[in-house]
Amino acid sequence: MTLTLAKQATRGLALEWRSDGSLWAIKGEQEKAVSVRRCFPWSEPLRHLSLRDTDEEEFALVKDPAELDARSRAALETALAVAGFVFEVTHVLEIEEEVEIRRWRVETRQGPRTFQTRLDDWPRTLPHGGLLIRDLAGDLYHLGKPERLDRKSRELLWAFVD
Amino acid sequence: MSTLHQLDDHIIERYTGQPTRLPAELRRQIERAWEGAPVQLYALADLDQSLRLTESWLALGPKHIAVAKRDSEGWDVHSIERSRIEAVREAPGLSANTLTILGAPGEPALALLRYTHRQRRAFENLRFVLEEQLQGHERELVGADADRLYADSVARPIRDAQAIVSGRQTAVIRRLLGYLQPYRRQLTVGMAAATVITLLSLVPPYLAGYLIDRVVRPAQSGTLSLARAGAIAWLAVAAMAVVYLIRQTAVHVRDVLMSILGEWVARDLRAELYEHIQRLSLAFFSRKRTGGLITRVSADTDRLWDFLAFGVVDVSLSLVMLVGLGTVLLTLDWRLGLVMTLPVPVFCWLIYRHSEDITRLFIRAWRKWSRVTDVLSDTIPGIRVVKAFNQEQREIGRFGEHNEDVTAEFNRIHASWTRFWPLLMLGVHSMTVAVWVFAVPRLLGHGAELPVGTFVSFLLYTTMFLAPIDVIGQMARTINRATTSAHRVFEVLDTEPEIRDVAEPVRLEPVHGRVTFDHVTFGYDGVRQVLRGVSFDVAPGELIGLVGPSGGGKTTIVNLIARFYDVSGGTIRIDGVDIRRLDTGHFRRQIGMVLQDPYLFHGTVLENIRYGLPEAPLDRVVAAAQAANAHDFITKLQHGYDTVVGERGHTLSGGERQRVSIARAILHDPRILILDEATSSVDTETEREIQQALERLVAGRTVFAIAHRLSTLRKASRLFVIEDGRLVEHGTHAELLATTAGKYRHLYQLQVQLQ
Repeated sequence: MTLTLAKQATRGLALEWRSDGSLWAIKGEQEKAVSVRRCFPWSEPLRHLSLRDTDEEEFALVKDPAELDARSRAALETALAVAGFVFEVTHVLEIEEEVEIRRWRVETRQGPRTFQTRLDDWPRTLPHGGLLIRDLAGDLYHLGKPERLDRKSRELLWAFVD
Repeated sequence: MSTLHQLDDHIIERYTGQPTRLPAELRRQIERAWEGAPVQLYALADLDQSLRLTESWLALGPKHIAVAKRDSEGWDVHSIERSRIEAVREAPGLSANTLTILGAPGEPALALLRYTHRQRRAFENLRFVLEEQLQGHERELVGADADRLYADSVARPIRDAQAIVSGRQTAVIRRLLGYLQPYRRQLTVGMAAATVITLLSLVPPYLAGYLIDRVVRPAQSGTLSLARAGAIAWLAVAAMAVVYLIRQTAVHVRDVLMSILGEWVARDLRAELYEHIQRLSLAFFSRKRTGGLITRVSADTDRLWDFLAFGVVDVSLSLVMLVGLGTVLLTLDWRLGLVMTLPVPVFCWLIYRHSEDITRLFIRAWRKWSRVTDVLSDTIPGIRVVKAFNQEQREIGRFGEHNEDVTAEFNRIHASWTRFWPLLMLGVHSMTVAVWVFAVPRLLGHGAELPVGTFVSFLLYTTMFLAPIDVIGQMARTINRATTSAHRVFEVLDTEPEIRDVAEPVRLEPVHGRVTFDHVTFGYDGVRQVLRGVSFDVAPGELIGLVGPSGGGKTTIVNLIARFYDVSGGTIRIDGVDIRRLDTGHFRRQIGMVLQDPYLFHGTVLENIRYGLPEAPLDRVVAAAQAANAHDFITKLQHGYDTVVGERGHTLSGGERQRVSIARAILHDPRILILDEATSSVDTETEREIQQALERLVAGRTVFAIAHRLSTLRKASRLFVIEDGRLVEHGTHAELLATTAGKYRHLYQLQVQLQ
């Protein structure tokens, strides 16, 4: 049996940013405000993108943005920047253990940040290298190349990196 | 300000670095713009449009919302009338969420805010109120404390994850030591014994030195007669024997008293903790992990036992020992004393550093160990899937890889301590060598006089240094571990039950079973209402079927009837009396529950049936089991009613467990009975038997039955259709079926089609 993707694929799909600040998907007669979900945010972040309407129903699945026209692709990239946003850690300043939680103080590309994780929540090693940390509130912190961080950061991270 | 609110403010300040509330000047500015109308809710938008961290605010008032952004001159506030809002959209992302507030179609968004997950709960509160407005359910936020709701929404994930108690670490230790108060006498004797041990430990080396200098050498040189020398020597040896005897007696007294005392304190803590847990409201249990609570009662109290029984004594006496040894050595010979004592702080510091390094190594090892246990907890319960997909070799490989990894980490730990301790001992021995280096010339007559006996005493004292240095070096870790456990225990003890009786509660004797809901509203978090103005009056003996989609509020209604929670608005009356005025314990004895997944405790079938009435006579137990259609299967069990069920006991099927739980409810004879999906997880034949049992059970009582299978509720006096927190339809089965376009009729037809 050959498996093929369902036919919500990209043929005839157009995307645009509208003045209401939302990404709109247009397919034939239908048009809907949609948000983008990456199917494989860490394994293959730029392909297989699910466009979901306000009821969280999938409106279309973009297998490869290259299949879209240039305007749609640009709109999609803008939406992806927001949907795929995670904090990019540039320096680790402090990792302290407290009662039941671990407190992290970091510098990120977005500014300084303090966050907490449970003591038994470990950073996740990503498929293409790098680490991902999820804090108690659910925010994500990405360390793309831990081995290229400054010496102090690497020392603090040593226990959390393979 | 409530303690909880203060705690939330503390958490926000300490852990997030964001404001604990809407800045006061901004609030005034917004309220001025709204002509004095109050800010009722607000949230911090902590990301700007280019996804950098920033500080913008969204505030909601009775007629307006306002978006405030910082500019060079203060706050730029943009107010929008709520009546202009036509849609609200939230787009969740991995870490950035977008809330878009829209006006008329085709127009630019009225507001677009970006925020991290840390702020999401506060935004959800705002979004909920706006969506309610759009659906025509204008919501008056009476009494909503904007500051409290904001602080709760930001602090809650941290508060729920961490056991935080008010007070500093020293206050926590003091409070912990307060548990020793009832055992002052034993503690005093135990500490005195420990002090005796410490002081007596200093005597034998002194006696050795005394014997050499005052007896042996004078006897050898002829300045002391052999007879006199012999007498003194034997006296000194006898004294040494007495010292050892007293010392070991004191060791025995200390060990017995302190270990028993530690057990008593642990027992007191466990009892207080367990009793308090029993009094806590359900809301607490929904916030905390069950496993964590079990750990607090077991492992944490055990760790505190260890600390109180030995940690406190060890640490305090090690300090005494070090000071005593230092004093004795400096008194015996200050020059050699300095050689020995000066490096001591360095050794303490090295041990402290080593324990820090070991902690880092352990974190790494634990992380890898968790991968090993992950594989085990994945594959052992899922072994059928592993075998079905022929993945045994892959799983063996996965386990082997993690096993190798973790072994390497533990070996790294072993390498660390096996390297450290010999080196430390080398350092200690170097001190001894240094003492010899300084002592030998003096022993040979160069420099200040050094009697041989004094030197021997000195050498013996040096061997006693290591143990207290080790304890002091690990003191920080010992105290940290104990205070962590104390935090976890005290957090539970400091939690106040949310359901409390009034000063003179009413006891309804007897309870007739009239249940009245009068415009009842309820929300678990103060903003989102799960019940919205529900009113009904149920007469004693009525059987009420609660139906409707999941999440509609059915279970909340029965939870409120059992007073597991108190209403947010409106009143619930039992036989005309406000439920909050009732004696909760007495009232709950009049309530019976049969749940979808009946819970049987570890114990015999008899004990489980008699759970609510432990003294019930056996013939009533049998009668209850017969009425519950349980008697037959119970008597077929090898040990009949004495069969042990529950964990590690005989395993009963779902239907059998359900019938035991019905027998338990029948024996309990409640006036108000709650059936929550009692037959949903059993097969048709079992359902028929349970249905028969339930029919006997419900007779003569007020019953609230939740069921998704509508056919089971045909005999209900009335059916209440609960949807989206409202009572949308009510009537008999026949009446509701006759309602064209009715919700119940629609649900019923859907189920008939599926069958």
